[in-house]
This record gives sequence, structure tokens and C-alpha cells, in this order.
Amino acid sequence: MNGYVATLRSAIAEASSNRRALIFQMGVMIVNDVAWIGFWVLFFGKAGTVHGWDTSRIVLLQSVLTTAGGLTLGVLSNARHLSALALDGRLDAVLSLPVHPLGHLLVRRLEPTNLGDVVFGVVLFAVAGHPTPGRTVVFVGVSLASVVLLTSFLVLTGSLSFFAGRSDGGELGFNAILLLGNYPLDLFGGAARVMLYTVIPAAFVATVPAQLIIRFDAGRAAILGGVTATFAIAALTVFNAGLRRYASGSTWTRA
Amino acid sequence: MSARSIPVTVWTSARRSMVQRAGLAMNATFYAIVVAVLAGLWRAAALSNDGTIAGYSAAAITWYIATSEAAIVSLNTRLIVDIGTDVVSGAVVVELLRPVSVVRQRVLAEVGRVLPRLYICALTGAALCLLVGGYPPNPAAAVLAVPSLVLAVCCNIVAQHAFASVSFWLRESSATWFLYQKFVFMLGGVLIPLEVLPVWLRHAALATPFPSMGYAPARLASGHFQPELLLMQMGWLLVLCGVAAVLFNRGEHRLEVVGG
Repeated sequence: MNGYVATLRSAIAEASSNRRALIFQMGVMIVNDVAWIGFWVLFFGKAGTVHGWDTSRIVLLQSVLTTAGGLTLGVLSNARHLSALALDGRLDAVLSLPVHPLGHLLVRRLEPTNLGDVVFGVVLFAVAGHPTPGRTVVFVGVSLASVVLLTSFLVLTGSLSFFAGRSDGGELGFNAILLLGNYPLDLFGGAARVMLYTVIPAAFVATVPAQLIIRFDAGRAAILGGVTATFAIAALTVFNAGLRRYASGSTWTRA
Repeated sequence: MSARSIPVTVWTSARRSMVQRAGLAMNATFYAIVVAVLAGLWRAAALSNDGTIAGYSAAAITWYIATSEAAIVSLNTRLIVDIGTDVVSGAVVVELLRPVSVVRQRVLAEVGRVLPRLYICALTGAALCLLVGGYPPNPAAAVLAVPSLVLAVCCNIVAQHAFASVSFWLRESSATWFLYQKFVFMLGGVLIPLEVLPVWLRHAALATPFPSMGYAPARLASGHFQPELLLMQMGWLLVLCGVAAVLFNRGEHRLEVVGG
């Protein structure tokens, strides 16, 4: 564990070495998130309540998504780049370390731009999420579950590159889950709904967490925990299996 | 550069793009997901409001979203970042050695690369719309939407080059890309029809080139016979070409003086 903490500390030091750039990049992402909230305000301003969703509910959904997405893509940023690292043969240096390669890879690099998402998500919840002690505890819990789920999904789809030899599937998975996570999935029905609760678990990234903040339900929380654990185990299993097929690129990098 | 070299560059690039079948399939799949989600959202909104929203019926809004998204998803959305990387790394310097305009060559190659993807996306979108929303609300307007779609991607590619040219001075392009994207999505009517915006913002948006990149073909495909939208696109394309050429020219000059 100490190894991961030290790695994370060095990643933080690296990211914050140019403080002005860090603040600027975070600021740009916050502007990006504000524009997205603007879209929803305009949408619900025109549409009213749609399938039980309105502006206040979508704000909660966005606060969970930006917080979890920001932590995943900002702090655990290599989750997104796993397939590229594997395909380019850039994992050599990691394999010689006395820690599990996946854990080291995940905390090795920070993406400053996405840290802006974390700031925005937390502030959005504090300002517009009607925080009470109970709601805040649920917000923290479901956001962390969402981080684990999102990271696991990215690792799982990225690890498929070890077998497929190309990164298209990982990229599609990344884009699909982030895109779908943005929308209240109660809008969809039939096969699409089944897919969003299973193959691409976008429903559990933001919609279900937001529903738990609005009204906590132990059964639904248990399902969220179960799905998260399942994807985490699957991701670790597929990564470990894929690593056995890894071919060195003789590239000694810091991954 | 002779006029003959223009179709040659576009065609060569298009053929390269057509060979990458997996890439085309992934692009079409992602496009289908985007359209299914966004059209589903707007259709749900329309159906919750007596069948229309901002003057669009459920069928019209489905055609609108399918068209506006085809104009965006078929593009390399990170083009600004890619150009910026080439400028900052100095890779663009090699292109300065050729006896042709760097920006013209890049734009033509990118248009060629995008056209096959646009074709596949448009076919996929039309199939989805026919399945979910029925026939186009106005066939004559839908016919105009085809050239409008091509003009939309041309405007977008040229504008991305114009915006990316700031990296000659700032040595960074990711922030420009983020802001550009938001302008296209919101002011360009890609995520949201301009009729949904407050009046002052709609007027402001219409004074910018961004509606030429999404709103114009989408408005036509959704059944509004407005040929003047094509004229607007052609006008903006000329302006953007001029701006991109001037900025790249100055940037290249700076690169020659300061070094890449």
C-alpha cells in the first residue's frame, strides 16, 4: 500500500509542478461543465418534467457524474489509456516493480483537466444538491462506488486490447459509458434499458446513485454495491489474464 | 497547387479512410448510440408536451438530431488538439517544405477522410429515423439537407484549423478545443435546436459561424424548407477559409522565425 501512496504522491507533485497551468486546465473543465448544466436548464425549462426528471434531479445526477468521472479520469487517469499502453508495449517498466501493475498504473498519472470536474461536482452538490448530513454521506458513498465501477469498466474494456490487438472497443466503451452516464436512463425502455443496466452499466454510474441521494433504498444500494464488485472482479481477472499475453515493446518508460 | 490536385487529395484521403473498415464500423456504432440517446431524450420531451417542443414534432426532432449529430460524429472531434500537437512538436515544419499551402492540404485531406464516415453516418441516421420517426417531414427540404451536411463538415474542419492556429502562439490547444466544442454544441444547435435558446442568445448564435456546422442541415432535414441556410453556409465557408489561411500563414512565418 505504501508503494501506491508514494506513487500517487509523486503523481500529485508532478501535476502541481506548474500550478498556473493546473488551475487554467481545471478552470476550462469547469466552464465545460457549466455549459453542460446550461444545456439541462434550457432543456427542462422548455420541456418541464420528463419521466419524473427535472432540473433539480438532473443537477444531482451531474454532481455525482462529474465527481466520479473527475476522480476516475483525473486521479486514476491511466484507466483510460490502458489499451494504448498495452498495445504500444509500454508496460515493461511497471512489470519489474514490487507492486501489482494495475494498481501502480492507475495511480501513476494525474490528468489536471479532469480534476476540475471533481471541484465542480462537489461545489454543485454543495450549492444545488440540498445537502443534509444524510444526503452528504450518501453522496460520498455513491460517488466512490461510481468511481470503482467506472474505473473497472474502463480497465475491463481496455484489457480486451490484450486479446483483440486493437483499441477500438476500449475507446467505444469509454465514450459510450460517459455519454450514456450523462442522461437519466428512465427515459429509455426495452432492450436499450436492459443494455444500460448490464453490458454498459451506465445506469449505475449516475442515474442509480442520484436516485439513492434523492431517496435512499437499501435494496437498490445493495444492487449498486453488487454490480460494482462484479465489475471490479471482472476487470482484475481480465487484466491479469491479458497481462500473460502482453508482448514487450522494449520501451522503457514510466507508463 | 493546381485545381486538379484538389480532387486527387480528397479522393486519396477518402480511399485511405474507406480501407479502415473497423474504424468506420466503430464510428457508425457510436453515432447510432448518440442518436438513440439524444433523439430519445428529445422525443420524450416532445411527447410530454402535447407532441411538440419548440415547434418540432417528435418525428422532426428525431431527424434534426440524427442530422446534426452526423455532422459532428463523422469528424475527428479532437482535430484542434491534433493540429496543436503537430505545431508544438514541430512536426508541421516538414509540411512547410512542400510547395503547397499547409492549411489547404490539411483541410482537403481531412475533408476526404471525413466524407466516407459522413456517408455511413447519414445512412445509419436515415435508417434510424425511418424506423423511429417515419419519413422526413418535408422531402424537398431533406434533399437540400444533403449538400448542407457536406458544407457543414467543411465549415467545421476549416474552423477547427482556424482555431487550432492559436497554438502557433500559445503552444497549447486543449483549452481552445474545449471552448470550441462548447460553441459548436450549444451555439451551433447540435445538442439543442436554436429555437430552444432565449431569443437574445439565438440571435447572438446566428451571428456566428457555428450554426453552419450543425443547425443548418438539421433544420432542413427536420422539414423546414429554407434554402437561404445553404447560402449562409457558403458565405461562412469563404470567410473561415480566409481566416484560416491568414492565421496559418502568420503562424508559419512565426515558426520560421522563432523555430519549431
